Amino acid sequence: MTSLMKHLALAAVVAAAPLMAATTASAEGEKYILVSHAPDSDSWWNTIKNGLALAGKQMDVQVEYRNPPTGDLADMARIIEQAAASHPTGIITTLADYDVLSGPIRNAVDSGIDVVIINSGTPQQARDLGALMYVGQPEYDAGLAAGQRAKADGVKSFLCVNHYISSPSSTERCQGFADGLGVELGNQMIDSGQDPSEIKNKVLAYLSANPDTDAVLTLGPTSADPTIQALEENGMAGDIYFGTFDLGEEIVKAIKAGIINWGIDQQPFLQAYLPVVVMTNYHRYGVLPGNNINSGPGFVTADGLEMVEKFAGEYR
Amino acid sequence: MSHAHTQLPDDERIKSRSRLREALIRPELGGIVGTIVVFALFAVFAFDSGMFKSQGIMNWSQVSAQFMIIAVGACLLMIAGEFDLSVGSMIGFSGMMIAMFSVTLGWPVWLAILVTFVLALAIGALNGFIVVRTGLPSFIVTLASLFILRGFTIYFPQTIERKTIIGGVSEVAQGDWLAAVFGGKILTGLFTWLGNAGLIATFDRGLRKGQPVVDGVPMLIVWALVLVVIGHIVLTRTRFGNWIFASGGDAQAARYAGVPVNRVKISMFMFTAFCATVFATCQVMEFGSAGADRGLLKEFEAIIAVVIGGALLTGGYGSVIGAALGALIFGVVQQGLFFAGVESSLFRVFLGVILLCAVILNTYVRRLITGER
Amino acid sequence: MNPHAPIIQMKNIEKHFGSVIALAGVSLEVFPGECHCLLGDNGAGKSTFIKTMSGVHKPTKGEILFEGKPLHFDRPRDAINAGIATVYQDLAMIPLMSVSRNFFMGNEPLRKVGPLKFFDHEHANSVTMEEMRRMGINLRGPDQAVGTLSGGERQTVAIARAVHFGAKVLILDEPTSALGVRQTANVLSTIDKVRKQGIAVVFITHNVRHAMAVADRFTVLNRGKTLGTAQRGQITPEELQDLMAGGQELVELEGSLGGTV
Repeated sequence: MTSLMKHLALAAVVAAAPLMAATTASAEGEKYILVSHAPDSDSWWNTIKNGLALAGKQMDVQVEYRNPPTGDLADMARIIEQAAASHPTGIITTLADYDVLSGPIRNAVDSGIDVVIINSGTPQQARDLGALMYVGQPEYDAGLAAGQRAKADGVKSFLCVNHYISSPSSTERCQGFADGLGVELGNQMIDSGQDPSEIKNKVLAYLSANPDTDAVLTLGPTSADPTIQALEENGMAGDIYFGTFDLGEEIVKAIKAGIINWGIDQQPFLQAYLPVVVMTNYHRYGVLPGNNINSGPGFVTADGLEMVEKFAGEYR
Repeated sequence: MSHAHTQLPDDERIKSRSRLREALIRPELGGIVGTIVVFALFAVFAFDSGMFKSQGIMNWSQVSAQFMIIAVGACLLMIAGEFDLSVGSMIGFSGMMIAMFSVTLGWPVWLAILVTFVLALAIGALNGFIVVRTGLPSFIVTLASLFILRGFTIYFPQTIERKTIIGGVSEVAQGDWLAAVFGGKILTGLFTWLGNAGLIATFDRGLRKGQPVVDGVPMLIVWALVLVVIGHIVLTRTRFGNWIFASGGDAQAARYAGVPVNRVKISMFMFTAFCATVFATCQVMEFGSAGADRGLLKEFEAIIAVVIGGALLTGGYGSVIGAALGALIFGVVQQGLFFAGVESSLFRVFLGVILLCAVILNTYVRRLITGER
Repeated sequence: MNPHAPIIQMKNIEKHFGSVIALAGVSLEVFPGECHCLLGDNGAGKSTFIKTMSGVHKPTKGEILFEGKPLHFDRPRDAINAGIATVYQDLAMIPLMSVSRNFFMGNEPLRKVGPLKFFDHEHANSVTMEEMRRMGINLRGPDQAVGTLSGGERQTVAIARAVHFGAKVLILDEPTSALGVRQTANVLSTIDKVRKQGIAVVFITHNVRHAMAVADRFTVLNRGKTLGTAQRGQITPEELQDLMAGGQELVELEGSLGGTV
């Protein structure tokens, strides 16, 4: 029996060690929990984690980052319920699926916890749930800003390479861009599919059929990378006006090489950093901005590339 | 030696054992000790975090109940000597089928649920049939099902609806009798009374101001408890339970003794699929949508719970009660670490430590019981 | 039924596995209350022969008469139901399960509660304890795992199980080959007890001394054929040994080993 007891005692000590380490680190005061829908393997969210930690340090509040390890949204709903049960000062969460997450979020709001929606979902959904505000990049507005910028640069017609046509937000990006230019979207948006060689060939076909196209807009690395290849092949690289959403290795290279004029960064750092700052000030002094905050679009051009490269994966 | 003993002398090599020791040395010991340790730890480190208030209790209970539902199936299958790695994919698949049938095709929800159960049982039977027919390790066969089912779970909604999350199940499930069996709540009157009496917290604002934050026991928990009780009785108190032990302990010896090993194994594969579908149905009814990535890695979580609960990976030994305690430990630790404010990436470290401790203890206990050397 | 008629007769049994002829016409008869010893070296066809007798294999040619009537087994279960029980050397018992669960494996006693049927543990436990006591095995309790028993005790439990469930023919596949001296003696005395209850015992071994200790008759198999059947007292251990080896080589070998084999 003694050997059995020894096993148990050992188990208890080993199991307790991380807990003790954690409790000593916690401080009194405001506590904010950020819940994301990203699986552990998604490195994009590292920027969010760092932004959160930095805000916690600067504002001197306790912050925690939580996510479902496999990205399972039903698990995420449980995490929001758990976060609410531990009664933090505020919860910052993404709204990846309204059906699954609206119940737990509304429960949190109703039990007196302030909630800020970030990254996904829409400002309208955030308002419906009783959240304080929405911090993200509204897709239409981002497209609109990009279109206005392109118009100022003299663009009159464009090609939108949509690799994810089933997602309404992708279409909003193209529509916003058209509205920013002040032209009809019409058939300037193509459904490129996800296959790189298919995307490349469709872009080539469109540009040879419409040689007077002023600009190309891609919606992310998936469509941007093959489009860069297409432009290099038909000799329009560096000549045609080229903008893209999101950043990626190939996109950064192309910006550097002068093929892409700008990339739109939704600046995830701000999506974690700003809610903590806003809520802390709200809870300390009762001040709250009167509207939602757009974390993007931030335009990355050849000039600002140095910072992007330096802080890539950390804060950018 | 041919003159038989009429009065047997006690064998001097069999040490007498105390009553307490006899009571302790059982397959569930690891689970019981683990449960006590885990609750004691969180009572110390997370007591005032809300973990033991109504909302907190409901939170870890629901997570544990989810694990329990799949752990019961995995436990009986493991005792019968087989694995099912397709449990997670089956959860995603079943949930998606219910959503597709009811939302996309517009069938009544009860019909969608029943057809999905039939489909899942057929897939479970097919898994089992392939395993017993080919004699391949179930590890490989169900690994194939893991990919196949997950593939279909992504393919169907994407080709038909052009998206990977199908919502709107809550709306079509309104008033459906079978949907309530999976997504409803019981004892709501009791909780309203508790809320009114001030025994549990109530909402401070919004439309439900004054209503209790926990308004009933979800059917998810009822299903978990029912499955645990049925699983335990079948395993320990029926002929079929003896066959499950025998099939996993030594399939050939069991066959020679007349146990229909193939039938036992196939029905356990079907039961595992059934449990996964119960999990999926409860989830779809609660959250109102099915996603192509639901249930990822759940098969491992089920197996971990079962192993913490004292079952032997190679089959022939284990306990449903132990597996249920393993699921409870799993759920309480997973949610409790959040309550205690531990960095969530440490969850895996913690889980690994618990798994290792439980397996060491379980192996020690099992050797005492079975005389393995 | 005539007690002097054989309970089981195997007539010219042939078994082919593809192009391999495992049994080339083996005949054997066993009488109730007789211990019939089947001897043979490794690969002689003993295992195939008893598996044919116990319904695991179907004979390619030949006839099985049980209590005078021809019999066809589709499954091992058919043979067990007919009263032919087999105790395999390594596969007799499941070590992880308790003695009482093992004892009733495949023959679980049931107790009805309303429409439900449950495993009657009380009955199973008391019968197990009783049978074990009769066989001279001291159990700590009916829930003691078989893994805690010695090899000889496991064989004894298996034999007791077969007898309890009404075996008329008991086939023992090398029950003593992995046992120590004392345990072997225990198993041999168990065989003797069983025979005295009027059960026909088919005892497979390649150890002549174990065979001489209990057998009434001996049949020697070699290369899938019967080399003949002898009565107890009509044959010496040396002759049996030579028959098993199939000829002269062993005599020479034995000489070089100083007569110890």
